[in-house]
Amino acid sequence: MNRRDFLRTVAGGAAAGAFLPLDGFASPLFPEAAAAPFAVVTGPDPAALVRRAVELVGGMDSFVSSGDVVFVKPNISWDRPPAQGATTNPLVVETVVRLALEAGAKRVVVADNTCNDARRCYAHSGIKEAAEAAGAKTPFMEARKFVKTQIGGKAVREWEVYRDALDADRIINVPVAKHHGLSGVTLSMKNLMGLVGGARNRMHQKLDTSIVDLCAFFRPTLTILDAVRILTAHGPQGGTLKDARTLDTVAACIDPVKIDAWGTTILAEAHDGRAPEEFAFIREAEERGLGTSDFRGGEFHEETLAG
Amino acid sequence: MKNARRLSQILFLALFLFLFIQTEYKGSNELGLPVRFFLDFDPLIALSVLLATHAARALFLFSIVTVVVSVLFGRVFCGWVCPLGTLNTFAGWFKMRSMKPGEDDTVFRRWRPVKYYVLFFLLVAAAFGWNAAGFVDPISMTIRSLAVGWNPAVNKIVRSFFEFTYAADLPWVSPGLDAVYSAMIGTALAFEQPVFRQSILIGLLFAGVIGLNALAPRFWCRYLCPLGALLGLLGWKQALARVDVDGGKCVSCRRCNLSCQGDATPFPAGRWASRECLACWNCADVCPVQAVSIHPTTRATGDGNVDLTRRWLLASGLGALVAVPAMSVGAHRTRPNPELIRPPGALPEQAFVRTCVKCGECMKVCLTNGLQPTLGQAGLEGLWTPLLVPRLGYCEYNCNLCSQVCPTGAIRAIDLKEKHRIRIGLATIDRDRCIPWALGVNCIVCEEHCPVPGKAIRFEEEERENRRGETFTLKRPVVNPRLCVGCGICENKCPVVDLPAIRVSSINETRSEENRLVL
Ligand code: SF4
Ligand code: SF4
Ligand code: SF4
Repeated sequence: MNRRDFLRTVAGGAAAGAFLPLDGFASPLFPEAAAAPFAVVTGPDPAALVRRAVELVGGMDSFVSSGDVVFVKPNISWDRPPAQGATTNPLVVETVVRLALEAGAKRVVVADNTCNDARRCYAHSGIKEAAEAAGAKTPFMEARKFVKTQIGGKAVREWEVYRDALDADRIINVPVAKHHGLSGVTLSMKNLMGLVGGARNRMHQKLDTSIVDLCAFFRPTLTILDAVRILTAHGPQGGTLKDARTLDTVAACIDPVKIDAWGTTILAEAHDGRAPEEFAFIREAEERGLGTSDFRGGEFHEETLAG
Repeated sequence: MKNARRLSQILFLALFLFLFIQTEYKGSNELGLPVRFFLDFDPLIALSVLLATHAARALFLFSIVTVVVSVLFGRVFCGWVCPLGTLNTFAGWFKMRSMKPGEDDTVFRRWRPVKYYVLFFLLVAAAFGWNAAGFVDPISMTIRSLAVGWNPAVNKIVRSFFEFTYAADLPWVSPGLDAVYSAMIGTALAFEQPVFRQSILIGLLFAGVIGLNALAPRFWCRYLCPLGALLGLLGWKQALARVDVDGGKCVSCRRCNLSCQGDATPFPAGRWASRECLACWNCADVCPVQAVSIHPTTRATGDGNVDLTRRWLLASGLGALVAVPAMSVGAHRTRPNPELIRPPGALPEQAFVRTCVKCGECMKVCLTNGLQPTLGQAGLEGLWTPLLVPRLGYCEYNCNLCSQVCPTGAIRAIDLKEKHRIRIGLATIDRDRCIPWALGVNCIVCEEHCPVPGKAIRFEEEERENRRGETFTLKRPVVNPRLCVGCGICENKCPVVDLPAIRVSSINETRSEENRLVL
């Protein structure tokens, strides 16, 4: 059973709120995830940050088995240069691809359903070039590859999902930390909107529940949050250097809720310093058992790497 | 000579099609060489723009090459270069092969003057300010018809095939074909299926032009083409390659006439019409007794040129004089049309319509397929000029491709810095349809997509209670007219899809003095 069949079979069960214990898929959706190691690494070299953060949470070998097809989902939504902080840092993406291939992945696919013209976004974010240099495929998401799929969520029941993401054995979510006009922040859960097509703009009407639904459905194996340069205002696409801050930080965890809870703390400027629990999507994700917002509660690593 | 000519035709057609396909975003902000290259060499375009606007462009200099070649050799452009001419050669081949001796004296020969009257009409109209040449200029017409009419059709057919095999999910076959498909997308095929208003109409008109070959080979080139008429007039006295038929040797087999691309009547001897000759030189090839020679001479080798009657010249001139003011009467001149959102860099409306040659290159190149041909929005005088239809495609903030391909400068060359300052319209919110305003539910997709740094959309915020009694902040969008550039991405992405709750109209466009919102 590949991931796609697997997801199709479980979607029905997930709708009923029953998360069955499923072997063979490293998933954060279980209570044990509360103890999952969480790593925040700071330093000048993004590649080193990713390597160290992944190492601290168990090493890529524990997430990717040899022969796996790995789908890496950065944020490539906007036609903006990397310095403006609207898209995931290309070096971060490149390193994730390298780690996945080093761990034995058969194939790594890097793609996103962009908001601006895909060709421009892929090129100007620097992600296409970087990911390809590391050995990934970077296909554009083409309309025919979106297939109607049971999501089984509370707001999102059925939606068009990108087939390559369904077919992949692992999804590694690589968002960038940004301000967002509606939800205050956009972090890992919202990033998964790039895997669906159709009239996804409608999801904004129940944005918090929708992105929790997507997270429950896609179950990313690992989440690596790029906070090398973050966008603190006029997100999610910014457009000037003024709105971006350099944090030189990368965080990693298998628990997306921990990641997003921590993410809100570095974006305090963007949302007047609200506490993580004040974000509806974090609260809801926690309530639905996708993880915990108490990122300091389990194994917590904070490290600074020297240049 | 025939093979050399065919090779030349095929190479130029291939170049044309290659440049046509290249007239698309290929991963860099600079486009390289767009299919405009062919228009640059087109003296009819240069002349009509010059007459209509009294403004010359440096690029018109290329067309001097065509003029010089024509003066020296006659219509070699028609016979050896023109992509439409080549398509007509192919399409007319069947007719030509089936003609029997005698059928070369076609009933359409009387139509030979028509193209000169068409030309005269266009030039008079241009001189009085209506630049209509682009409708019938062969290069402009071909680019437009392929871009708006045929490219979408070809894409649709090819894509449907591959999409079918993809969906069928056959082992081996589907993945293999899909790899081929992926490689074709963005290379031979457009990046996305192009969709154009009026594509059927514009495509069929072109099919009609090609279909005329069923009546007589190269019907368009022989009887209708205004560029051919212009080049014929220029090359009329050409002295470097005249067709000379030796009546003494001629055996009256009529093969020369039957193979003549231009209905230039090499037979009977002495009746060769220099203005009609497309320099295909088939006559010399097919003559069984070598009675036909092509050589430099100043001697008049034929007197077959048709006379233009003063009556018809007068009629076409007068027709133009009536048409020009008639064109300008209409609602489009009375007040600005809200739908008429012109691409960034477009000249002020009147100058724009005078300068645009309706080649459709901007529509072909537009990243988002947002540029569409007008129907009534700019009046008949502005038919098929580009307008942005945000519901179909928005103007990409960091793109200026249309300004790079425009052959006449109707869309000025602008760099991105300048583009970011140009407003092409203004978005306004329809509060009766906007989800937060009308329904009290959050949305703000428009704000999320607004590309202006600092955002041209801000919120009016209000604490509300939802049905479960939880408080939330309702964010209702408001547009700032000072920042909005009218790109239309908000309208394009608004989830109220049929009639979006935020819509762009042309008001506030930088290029107009009158179409302004506030003082
Ligand atoms: S209208 Fe806008 S998006 Fe389209 S080609 Fe012109 S500049 Fe680019
Ligand atoms: S995208 Fe449309 S419905 Fe949503 S807030 Fe904007 S105008 Fe209103
Ligand atoms: S048209 Fe809409 S998206 Fe574009 S600048 Fe104006 S408000 Fe922003």
